[in-house]
Amino acid sequence: MNDPVSSGKAAVLVEILDSHGRVQLRERVALADDKRTFSIGRAVDADVTLDDAYAAARHATVEITPDGRVLVSDLDSVNGVLIAGKRHRGTRNVEVPNGVLQIGRTRLRLRTAFEALPPEKPDQLRPASVLHDPAWLAGIGAAAGLAQLGYTTWLGVPRDLAAVLVTTLISAAAGAGMWVAFWALLSRMLCGEWRWLRHAAIFLGVAAIFYAINGVLDLGWFMFSLPQWSLRAAWVGAIALGCALYLHLIHASNIAPRRAAIVACIVPALSGGAGQWVQERQQMRDVNHIGASLRIYPPALHLSTAGSIDDYFQSAAALRAAADAKRKATRADDDDSAAGDDE
Amino acid sequence: MGNRFGFQTLLAAAVLQWPLPMALAQMQPPAGPPAVTPAPAGPAATTPGSAGPLAPGAMPAESPALNMPVSPATSENARDVLARVRPAVIQIKGFFGANTAQAFHGTGFAAAEGGIFITNYHVVAQQVQYPDKYRLEYRTPDGKTGAITILAIDVRHDLAVVHAAGHAPEPLKLEPVVPVKGERAYSIGFPLDVGLTITEGVSNGKVEDSFDPRIHYSGAINGGMSGGPALNGAGSVIGINVSGYRFEQLVSFLVPAEHALALLERSRKSTPNARSLTRDATAQLRAHAAALLGALNGKMLTQAAAGYLLPGKLAPFIDCNAAGDPTPSQPIQVVSMNCAAKAGLYVQQGLFSGDLRYAHYVLSTDKLDAWRFASKLSDLASATGAFGSRRHVGPFACENRVVALKGFDASVMVCSRGYRKLEGLYDFTVRVSSLNNTKRGFASHLDMYGLEFEPAMRFIKRYVEAMEWRP
Repeated sequence: MNDPVSSGKAAVLVEILDSHGRVQLRERVALADDKRTFSIGRAVDADVTLDDAYAAARHATVEITPDGRVLVSDLDSVNGVLIAGKRHRGTRNVEVPNGVLQIGRTRLRLRTAFEALPPEKPDQLRPASVLHDPAWLAGIGAAAGLAQLGYTTWLGVPRDLAAVLVTTLISAAAGAGMWVAFWALLSRMLCGEWRWLRHAAIFLGVAAIFYAINGVLDLGWFMFSLPQWSLRAAWVGAIALGCALYLHLIHASNIAPRRAAIVACIVPALSGGAGQWVQERQQMRDVNHIGASLRIYPPALHLSTAGSIDDYFQSAAALRAAADAKRKATRADDDDSAAGDDE
Repeated sequence: MGNRFGFQTLLAAAVLQWPLPMALAQMQPPAGPPAVTPAPAGPAATTPGSAGPLAPGAMPAESPALNMPVSPATSENARDVLARVRPAVIQIKGFFGANTAQAFHGTGFAAAEGGIFITNYHVVAQQVQYPDKYRLEYRTPDGKTGAITILAIDVRHDLAVVHAAGHAPEPLKLEPVVPVKGERAYSIGFPLDVGLTITEGVSNGKVEDSFDPRIHYSGAINGGMSGGPALNGAGSVIGINVSGYRFEQLVSFLVPAEHALALLERSRKSTPNARSLTRDATAQLRAHAAALLGALNGKMLTQAAAGYLLPGKLAPFIDCNAAGDPTPSQPIQVVSMNCAAKAGLYVQQGLFSGDLRYAHYVLSTDKLDAWRFASKLSDLASATGAFGSRRHVGPFACENRVVALKGFDASVMVCSRGYRKLEGLYDFTVRVSSLNNTKRGFASHLDMYGLEFEPAMRFIKRYVEAMEWRP
């Protein structure tokens, strides 16, 4: 490889970055065999002049070595030079990995001709699949959500289906809008982009899948007479929340996928676990709560054989022990006082 | 829909709960089923403004009683009765802990020599259930006060015999014969704590088809008069004030005096203490529950509705009423039948025991598809509307399954919860919904309070087994 300096192509591109790492300003500094160093500071005679009150008049010098390394020397400034999170004051010839450093409050990236560039991206008119296109995903999710809302509203046989449907849609859109707006705002703060479509796609997609799974499970429970599990919807909801959280996080920030996965597991587990604990305690205290229920579907869908009434009442005899156990389990909560406030 | 079954009935058939602070008693519906047997006119049919026995038009626009001057003779008679009875009547007050302000109050009257008084069980029930928390005192119309001790209780008939320390007036005469319909009667007590009061009315004899015996008194009985005497013109006690319909007009009830005589006799043979009274109350509640289920032990009578045979009026004392929407344009037609035994006994505030009620909602449609019809059936079969306090009962445990009944499959759910202090008594909530037809179906609700487990489960099984699909 030829030496860019000796081959006459030597130059350094000094890029000023914003808080999201995007280039705000570029300045090209020419180098020569006898001039491999340039200065940065607030002074007009510095090679790169910064408009930054926290930078010294002559703050630092930068040297590009023949093998392409970037070395920075602080010129005894008050604030020093920030490289990879470490502040250097009065230090000479500190190597700058990736060429990114901070002087005063200005983030700079120094690019040389030695920099290895990734190959160019192919310009595709269409994404590889609709799964990679947020607009499509959002559209599919919205259509599924609309279908679900329409179905549940229709099922309730309202007197004015259209009016109830519109009201439900407005409520659902308001809820969804607030959720998506929150994540979009977070994206804007952390990544500098709103990413509305992406977050809408995540929310609508996950919600549609959640309702579909819940509906299928509900129907399955009826079809095969499976034992009731009152917290089923809560757990499916917690899993859906975890998935949504993971996807929102990795699209709203620069968080590593592994960390996002950990957060997406911990938050629903904690909130779901705490919610279940609180719910169970409330249900134990609410003596009028009856958790068991069976959603009824058309009789033709009931595939399992009905049990005999004798068998049922043989099993139901165990209710006495179950009711006694529940009564005893809640006795500790009851102060047995005649002046209780729950009447 | 569960609420539709229970709540209106509760509002209309509210038992007068004297022990409640009066302001509260007027504002709140009772938290339990009616403890008394109501008049034959079902309360659900006599809600204000609805068609029923007391529909507008059934009553003259201007009642003659409102326009006519009060007969001087009548007032003099009431004055005489009150003057004779006054020394024998006391106000009974309950106090929580060391409070000097009363927690509840009722009335009592001397029924035997030596300071023996009769009152209602519900007046002293708090003290029976919580002897360490409550104390009882009496106050005579002249302002004399002293301590009250409970000697015997009759929970089923809502009576108690008590002893008033240091106060032994001449007892009133108890008349065990129920007066005929139309005989003038007087009720005495301390309504709303405004002082000794007499009201004038008419006895309408024993309430027909009632599980527990009651005299129907067409006169005013208000909160605070519980346990007071109801007298005939001769000044003999014909009954003891016990309850009334809160939102109706002068439909009140008395416990026949014969039960007070029986309890007085029993009280002479026992020397109770606080624990034995509590045990006695529980035993009486169990006996009442057994008697109720025993009375329903006959053939399970059914009624046809949309091709189904469902339990109908199971005994003469069960009060049933039915309703439906006559509008043909409805997407779904619902015919409902509500039945109630109205046999519940007042145990203490918010707790009634030994009662049952059931309702059927029969659906049919020629407009809805199978999915929406099933959804409507689901809504009607949901188990909501249970009432009860954590202080009195534990949480529900449930068993839910699809069961083959006569000619059809049905989803059956039985839930039960146990009583805390009244050991051995349970509440039951039963829901049955048909799963055999896309155009016709039913949801049946059965709710039972304060019954023993095995007999109740046997009744539930008979109730479910009686259902049949016979299109």
